[in-house]
This record gives sequence, structure tokens and C-alpha cells, in this order.
Amino acid sequence: MLKSGTLPAFRLAFFTIQFLCIVLVCLNDLCTIFSTSATFFPASVDPFWDRAAELTLAPLGQNLPATSPIRQTVSAYLNLTGIESGYSYFAPNIPDNYKIVFELHYPDGRTEIELPKVNSRSAGLRFSTLLDKMTETEYAPLRTMMVKMLAFSVWQGHPSATKIRAVLGTVDLPSPVEFRLGRKESYRVLFAYDFDFITEQPSRP
Amino acid sequence: MASLCSALRRFLFGPQSTVWLSFLRIGVGLQLFCYVLSLRSDWIELLAEGNRGLIRRDLMEALLSAESPLIPRIGWIVGVGTWLNLGETNILWFLWGAMLLASLFLVLGLFCRTTSVIAWILFLCTAKTVEPFGYGVDNFTVIGLFYLVVAPVPDGWSIDARRRGIGLKSTSLQGLHRRVLQLHICLIYFFSGSAKCAGRGWWDGTSLWRALTRPPFDIIPPDILIRLGFLLPVAGILVCVMEATYPVFIWPRKTRLIWFIGVLGLHVGIGLTMGMYLFAWVMIVLNMAAFGPEFAFGVPKFSFIASLIERQIEPSSS
Repeated sequence: MLKSGTLPAFRLAFFTIQFLCIVLVCLNDLCTIFSTSATFFPASVDPFWDRAAELTLAPLGQNLPATSPIRQTVSAYLNLTGIESGYSYFAPNIPDNYKIVFELHYPDGRTEIELPKVNSRSAGLRFSTLLDKMTETEYAPLRTMMVKMLAFSVWQGHPSATKIRAVLGTVDLPSPVEFRLGRKESYRVLFAYDFDFITEQPSRP
Repeated sequence: MASLCSALRRFLFGPQSTVWLSFLRIGVGLQLFCYVLSLRSDWIELLAEGNRGLIRRDLMEALLSAESPLIPRIGWIVGVGTWLNLGETNILWFLWGAMLLASLFLVLGLFCRTTSVIAWILFLCTAKTVEPFGYGVDNFTVIGLFYLVVAPVPDGWSIDARRRGIGLKSTSLQGLHRRVLQLHICLIYFFSGSAKCAGRGWWDGTSLWRALTRPPFDIIPPDILIRLGFLLPVAGILVCVMEATYPVFIWPRKTRLIWFIGVLGLHVGIGLTMGMYLFAWVMIVLNMAAFGPEFAFGVPKFSFIASLIERQIEPSSS
């Protein structure tokens, strides 16, 4: 055992701050998902969760303006230590499942359907995360920009296409009961984008 | 008050061998090795700046800058490479090779401190740059690498200790660092389990059904799942209870082994039934390091396992 004079005070202080950060980030995550998702709690307590989520952000400086050096430093620390997000994976409910489909139009009137392609299962898992984040973003221009980039990557494989319609939607999976009754998954369109491409000089997103 | 302080001191600085650190180093090293290999065929498409990739790197890094300009990113490394007149593709492949080499050095335990810092920075740069593509596995890998960076390396099983003659750090310091990891793991499961408990679907099996049938996790055909339908609510409740009560039942001698094996089983299940192999592996590694064999099997009935592992791994401790 270490003697009292040899207590690693710096390490102890550091780990205390680390734990404070973890707890605050996790509480914020928990309160946020409780206020935004369907849970056992009545909807009337949602404002309480909202307020609690806000309160947990304050000690981390995350209520300060985005350009604040304090906020940016704390954000960097959280990211460096891997504790910038909570652990509510697949909770309290499994999120919707999203899918993007590209409809390629050719000058001769032909139409082809294309799905995004990645080379490995690992990248496939990551692509599905991208779709989740892209669809759920509240900033529409960012979503448009990302869909445009994906459309461009598809167009590079089909340079004679002159127009690509990107359809982003949610896949409704059948419940166990519905599956027993023979219901298959269905697709619901959320956003659709049209991008024109000039064959000679591809437009850069 | 004095007895409380003494109890806290015993809790935080209880002597520990370096076995936990061996598990963490080798496990995280293997994790990084598999991560790098698994992304080999998509490496350039994920990280290229121009129109060669899926989402341009400059957009992803702009999003990162909006959060904080201090977060490491690939752009910094590419910037240095460009200054040295190296092409972007060459730099990205160099980075890939460097990460692979760092992961091998970690597994071997060669230059532990330097290697863990390099691996941590390179992985951070990659994971943060492709954050729009990121999921839990990246966070847990960063957590593992970070605790390795600040840990009292080397461990008894590393080449540094066995061949290069670098001495092991104090057992109390090992105790403190292991405690930190244990408490962090407890918080992870507590918050993860609590969040799940609030959702109706985890109690009636719907969430488990959705998780297992949702692409790209739909490895098991729904027909088979339907046949095992009666197990879904039980498994869903088990997941909630096991996770939310982990911080309570992992400590007492009588229950720790059940919870330890239960949680390992949960992660093996996630890996096999959802195809999230890297996620499953990193969680198993963190659990093994935090509450691994000599802690979980430190009950009288299984103490021979703990002592066997200690004898095999630990050459000497200073």
C-alpha cells in the first residue's frame, strides 16, 4: 500500500474530474433520450427531463457559445478520452431503420435502381450509422450536402447518367405477430432529392 | 472519518498485479489490428478528401471543427505529409500501416508507453475524422487506448518487462488504475441498462426482435427467431437487469462470477447474432481487464484459476 505521503494526488484529482465528466455526459444522454423517446414515464415529465439535460450540460461548459474556448477545450477533452457520448445504445427503444436508394436516369430514357456499395461488412455497419445520423440531423442543408456526395459517388460508377434521384426513407419492419401473418417490411419515403449531372464535366458537390 | 478515509484508501489503492494491464494491452492491440484490417478495402473511400470517397473528408472535418478545433483529425497528418511533398493517398496508406504496426507492438508489449500513445493518437485521428460513420465500438476503443496511455506500463507479460528489463510499477498504482477502469465499466452498464429499462420494448421482447431483424444486424433469419420467440422477452429482461444491476452485483464475492460470465455471454451473443464482432470484442476486453479472471474467479471455489493465471503472467512486482 502507498503511504499517506506518497498518495498520487495528481492522478486522484485527474480521475475525479474524469468521473465527474463521465457522470455528467451520461446523465445528459439519459435525460435527453427520456425527454425525446417513448418511455414508461408520462409525457408530462418531459419538461423535467429537458431541464435536467440542460443542467447537466452547464458544468461541462456546453451551454456556452460554440466558439467559447472553454466549451471547445472541454469538448476536445471528452473526445480525447472517448467519453463524449453516453451509453444508451438501442435504448430506450430500437431506432428506425433507414435506407437510401438511387434512381439513375439516362439520356435515352432508361432508369436504373442502385444501392450504395461498400467493400466490406465493417464498412457496411458504418454506412448504416451514417444513414441514421444523416436522416436524423436537424440541419437540412447538411443532409442535402451528404446525400449529394453519396449521389456523386454513385454517379462516378455510372458516368453516362444525367440525373440521379436519391430517395431516403425508413424501413418499417414487421413485428413478430405481423411476421407470422406474412407481412413483409415496407418502405416509407422521408426525403427525395434530384441531382443533375452533365456527362462531359461532372458537377462537383 | 478516519476509518472512512482508510476504507477509501484500501478501495482505491489495494495492491494489484499487472494481469489486468496485460489483458487490456493485448486485447486493445488485437482490437486495433482487426479494426485496421477490416477497413483496408474501404480505407481511401472513407478518408479521401476529394471526390473519391463517400463523404468528403473536408466536410467531416468541418463538422468536427464546429464541435472543437482541438480534436485530432486526419487533416493534420495529411497537412504535414503535403508539406513533405507526399500525396494524399500515400499518406493515408502510411497511416494505415503505422496503425497496423502500432497494434502489433501493443500486442507484443514492445515500447509500451510510446506505442500506446502513438496508437491512441492515430486511432483518434481516424475515428474522429470519420465520426459520421462511427458507432459505439470507436468510443470503447478510445476508452481502452486512453486508459492504456495513462496506465502504469509495462505489465508482466510484455516484452518490455521480460526482455528489456523495464521494472514494473507499484502494485498500489496498478490498483488505482484498475479501480478507475472498474468504476467506468460500472457506469457504462448502469446507464446503458437504465436507459433500456425505460423502454417498453425491452420488457416484452419487441426491442430484441427489432435489434435482431434490423439490417445490417439481421444475421439470424426471422423464421428461426420466430421459433425462438418465447425466449425474446426473457432475454430482453435479462439484458436490462444484468446491465442496470451490474454495478451492484459485480462486487460481492457471491454474485460477481455470475454477473461477469453473464455480461461476457451477452457480448458473445451480440457478436454472433448481430455480426458486431469488433464491438463484442472490445467490450469483452474491457470487462476482462476490469473484472477479469483473478477478480471474478477470486472466490474460494475458483481461486485455483486466479492463482494459476497470476503465476503464469507475473514474473515479479516491485
